[in-house]
This record gives sequence, structure tokens and C-alpha cells, in this order.
Amino acid sequence: MLFCSIVFSQKSVPNSTLFTLDGKSLKVLDEISKNKITVLSFWATWCVPCINELDAISEIYDEWQETSNMELIAISTDDSRTQKRIRPMVNGKDWPYKILLDKNQELKRALNISTIPQTYILKGTEIIYIHSGYSPGVEDELFEVIQKNKN
Amino acid sequence: MRKLLVLKLFFLTVFVQAQQNDNLTVGFESNSQYYVDDEKTGDFTEKNRFRSNNYLKIDYSISKFSFGVQAEGYEPMSLLNYSPDFNNSNVALYYAKYTSKKIEATAGYFYEQYGSGLILRSWEDRQLGINNALRGGRIRFYPTENVTLSALYGNQRSGFDVSDASIYGFNSEFNISSMLKSNSWNLDIGLSYVGRKEENDDTDYNFNDLTNAFSSRLNFSVNNFYSSAEFVSKSSDAVIIFDKIRNTKPGNAFLFDVGYGKKGFGINANFRRIENMTFYSERNATGNIFNQNIMNYIPALTKQHDYLLTNIYVYQAQPQISFQDFALLKIGEIGGQVDLFYTLKKKTTLGGKYGTKIALNMSYWAGLSGDYDYLNFEYDADFLKFGKKYFSDISLEIRKKWSSDWSSVFYYVNQYYNKRYIEETFGIVETDIFVSESTYKMGIGKSLRFETQHLWSKDDKKNWVGGTLEFNLNSKFAVYVNDIYNYGNDNETQRIHYYNLGGSYTLGAQRFALNYGRQRGGLVCIGGVCRFVPESTGLTANIVLSF
Repeated sequence: MLFCSIVFSQKSVPNSTLFTLDGKSLKVLDEISKNKITVLSFWATWCVPCINELDAISEIYDEWQETSNMELIAISTDDSRTQKRIRPMVNGKDWPYKILLDKNQELKRALNISTIPQTYILKGTEIIYIHSGYSPGVEDELFEVIQKNKN
Repeated sequence: MRKLLVLKLFFLTVFVQAQQNDNLTVGFESNSQYYVDDEKTGDFTEKNRFRSNNYLKIDYSISKFSFGVQAEGYEPMSLLNYSPDFNNSNVALYYAKYTSKKIEATAGYFYEQYGSGLILRSWEDRQLGINNALRGGRIRFYPTENVTLSALYGNQRSGFDVSDASIYGFNSEFNISSMLKSNSWNLDIGLSYVGRKEENDDTDYNFNDLTNAFSSRLNFSVNNFYSSAEFVSKSSDAVIIFDKIRNTKPGNAFLFDVGYGKKGFGINANFRRIENMTFYSERNATGNIFNQNIMNYIPALTKQHDYLLTNIYVYQAQPQISFQDFALLKIGEIGGQVDLFYTLKKKTTLGGKYGTKIALNMSYWAGLSGDYDYLNFEYDADFLKFGKKYFSDISLEIRKKWSSDWSSVFYYVNQYYNKRYIEETFGIVETDIFVSESTYKMGIGKSLRFETQHLWSKDDKKNWVGGTLEFNLNSKFAVYVNDIYNYGNDNETQRIHYYNLGGSYTLGAQRFALNYGRQRGGLVCIGGVCRFVPESTGLTANIVLSF
């Protein structure tokens, strides 16, 4: 019972303050649509597997969006050393995602994330799947979960 | 047994509560190492071969309130070269927070950052042994959508205690363009103040107990163009060299950034000048090697490289005053970097079937030129003149996908590292590094990755070669082996293989990793802050649990 009670406790995302690339502050829960599947991907410009994951998904993202009502939000955990690299990298790679900044890692800490990439799939605001790390093909597993849970 | 039952009942109650609309989260992280003797690099001569750093964090929220606590255990001792203040086990942090649409109020420990952190940043980095949270109170107020005001008061965490100095802070952010209802351009401004009050009884020099730091910032963007600037000043304060007050000086910093981006192309340039901008919650902590009592964040604005051989000569920002000898005088740094990202389109000659991605970075850093008076620890710096060259770095990365199963990365780096000025030892090191990495996808989550690296240098320890092999059996289980070898070292006994092998298993947010190997001594740097680690060999275990 003790085990069960703990396993299911992290079920939604704490409503931390994040920033847009333009520097506007917002609450993360205001960005998550209640009627959609949302994928939250925690990444950083210096994290190679994170970039591999986001590159891989960007190639099949059109298909994901066509077949299910979903959106991916890429939450950068870069601190001010590398924050200025986010915008040119996103432009240069032509990523189709909404990009938000977790400037001093408030949300990352609240979710107890210690390594990135860490990816969450949310149905509405409820966390239904978590994966940490990336190896090629993980995007196919994510897509299966999205397909299974789409409305 | 009864205790256990009570505990279970407690958790059950929490669980029933949590089922409704509340949220309980638990995070646990454990990093342990067993150090062994090494016939090549020497015996382990310190106390306690087994050491372990452990963190347990519990957060609970109910409607607009949230509460949390973090306990830390360093048993029987903290890992090598962590601050000796991290010892034994205790409650390290706790907080209570109220959040509404207009107000957020926190009592207890909290983290904060103003602007880019040049006058204030408190954060946690467990790999570096940094936790400089503030203990006291903070209030954030959002009177309209376009204005944020916040104020704080507290003492900074130091080990399991707090330092004596009182910290005061005020921050404000205004979105001017939204106030003027503009959609075509964006303009934000920010103003901050940080005060540190630490009593002093020095009679030789005249400076206040209270040191004031101000930051003003501006962020502007229109269409695909954006830029930002930050000006920082710090009031006159004691200059500590060789553990004694030698002078009093003010400090300042200037940071400018400009960029442009469109589909498939992005460019960004930074320029920064810093003079005497180290800021500690205790004056006597100036320059401590354990990164304790740090108030602000001054990262090196250089590319953070990803590969083993590209991380041997890592630049660290030089905001401090250092008068080591007649010829080694430092009061700050000046320089910048440029980043460029470009995608060669699919189905073109250079782009190939899948497109080719290119990233270029160049950085250059130097000391401040000026008039220096070594005997009196006095100086007068020029404003925009470059002094002695400290560091430069040019890197080019090409990422190429060959087929649906094969992809590669090619990486070239050229570095100039002025070891004499950066580390305050001797010599200049120039390197060329080449890395080639390929990944073969064998199925869903199953892949093989291999990496070869070479570093050419006529200086310091000369040539290195390295390689990595990584096998992902599925999306959860991975094993790897890597080795870097300093085969060019003139001293044959110092030609050492730094090898590591290990594996990790992840399940959702839970992660277990084991590693055995020989760690190269030197700086471990994360986000521009570095921790010195001595050479060591041993077995490492990492556990991350999150519920």
C-alpha cells in the first residue's frame, strides 16, 4: 500500500513560472491545453542526446500532429551561460516546437529531474508517461503512447 | 512494527488526500563511490574509501499552499573535494509557499536569480557541490500582466548553516511593448538591487559594511532581429588578495547580445566586459576553491563542448582581481563569442536526402588593459581595450544523416588556452581536436554509437587519443566503455589510459547507473562553474528515484 501510494503521487505538473524566448513570463499550466496530448521535453543546448531526440521528432512531427491532437513543448533548462544560444539553434534547426525557458531550473527541480533529456506525456494536465534518456527509436515508443491515449 | 503501521497510515492519508487535488512528490538521489588503489596513479590515501552524497526531497501542495523539505546525508563522508562543510546528515532546506494570481510569498529556503545572474543567482548543482539557497523571505507581486516586482531578505546557506551577512534584494521587470499594446515589436526592461551587509572591523581601509549592487537590463526584438543589454555596478568594497585586505575598489560589468534568425538559419553574438565582479556572502570566502558563498553567476561565455578531449582545456570566466606577481596582474576580462546555426536543405547537393546541420562557434577572451601598480595593489583600467589574450576557441560541427539507420557527427575544435593566466600556473596550450561520431539504429530504442577523438598539441601533455562505444539494448538499458590516452606525453610514466565502463537502467523517472574507471584529475565544469577533482579510480553508483 505504501508503495502504491507513492508511485502514483506525481500526477501533474507544478505550476512554475517559465519564460518565452522574448523574455515574457508565464505559468506552465496556462500553456498546457486540457483537450490535447502534450509532450514536455526537458532539454539544453549542450545536451547531445536531447538534441538528437528533438531532431528526430522534428522529422516526423507533421505526422504526429496529423494523426493525433498533440503538441510538443521543448523546455530548455539552459542557464544564462547558454541561454543566448537557444534562439539561433532553434532557428537553425528549424524546430517546429513551442520553446519555453526554465531559467533557473525551478520546474526541473520541482519535478525532481536530475538528468536530461527527460520527457513527459500529459493527457490534459495529467502525467501518463515519463521517459528519461534518449536512444534512436525512443520517439517511436513515445508515438505509441500518444496514439493509445488520443481522444 | 507499530511505528511502521503509523507511517503507512500517514502515507495512506497523504495518498487519499493526493487522490483528490493535491500533490505529493518525493525525489531521492544518491551518488556513491568506492575508491581503490591504482598501480598507475597511486594509492588512495584519504580517509574513507567509501563515500556517498544523498539527497531526499519531499514537496507537498494543497490548494494555494506548498511545503517542502530537503534532507542531505554525506555518509560516512562527502565525495572527494566537496566542501568539508557538507558532512553528516541533516535537514538542509525547508520552505512554505503561498501562490495566488497576484502574489507569491515564500518563507524558508528559496532560489532566486535576477537578470542573467550577474548580481544575484542562488541555485543548486549537486555535481558541483553548490547549494547557495537563501534562507529568509521573498515576495513576488504581479500588479498587472506586464509588471513583476519582487523583494527578498535572508542569509545564504553555507554547509548546513547560513552565513552571517544579511542579503537584501529587489527586482522589477516591465514589459513596455505590451503596456503600449504593440504586437510588432517587444521591449522589456528590468531593474534590480542586491545589498550584502557584513560587519567588518578593519581600520586600515575605508569601506561600508553594506555593499550595493545594481543591474539594469533591456531586451528588444522586432521581426527576426533581437538584442539585449545589461549594465551592472557594485559599490566600493574590500579587495582581498593572499587572504588580506589590500585595497578597496568598485566593480562593474557590461553585457551585450544581438541575434538574427529565420527558418533554417540563426546567428547570435555576445560581448561582455567584467571588472572586479566577484561577489561572496562573506568577504573572507573570496576565491575559495569549493565554490561556497557565491552570490552571483559569471559563466564563461564560450561553447560548452560535449566530448572528453574537448573538455581538457576549459575556459573559466575571470572576474576577479589577482596580483600574483609583477607579470601576472588580473582585474577582469573582455571578449565575446559568435554562434551560427544553419541547415543545408534536404534534396540539395550538399544537404543530401536528409539535410545537413551545421553549427559554428567562435570565442575570444582577454584581460583588461590599463595602468597597474603592483606594489600598491592599485589599477586604472581602460574601458574597451583588450589586454593579454586568455583564450580563444573555434569549433565547427556537422551533423549528417546518411540513411534512416545511420547518422554521424563531425566536430573540429581549435583552442588557445593561456594556462599561465587562467590557472595562474605556467605555459600556453594550443590544440586542434577532431571528433567523429556515428550512430547505427538497430530497432526501437536499440542502437550502437561509436566515437573516435584525437587531440593534437605541441604543448603541455601533448597528444591524446580517445574512443567511446555505447550500446543501447533497448530504450531502458544502456552500456558503454570509453578511454582517453595521453600517448604523446614526454614523460612516459605519465602516459595513462583514463578508461571508464558502465551501464544504466531507466524506468520512467527512475534511474540506476554503475560505473568503474579512472577519473582524470582536473576541472569538472557545469554551466561555466568548475570544481577541481583529483585523479581517482573506483566504482561509482548513482540512483535517482522520483515519485
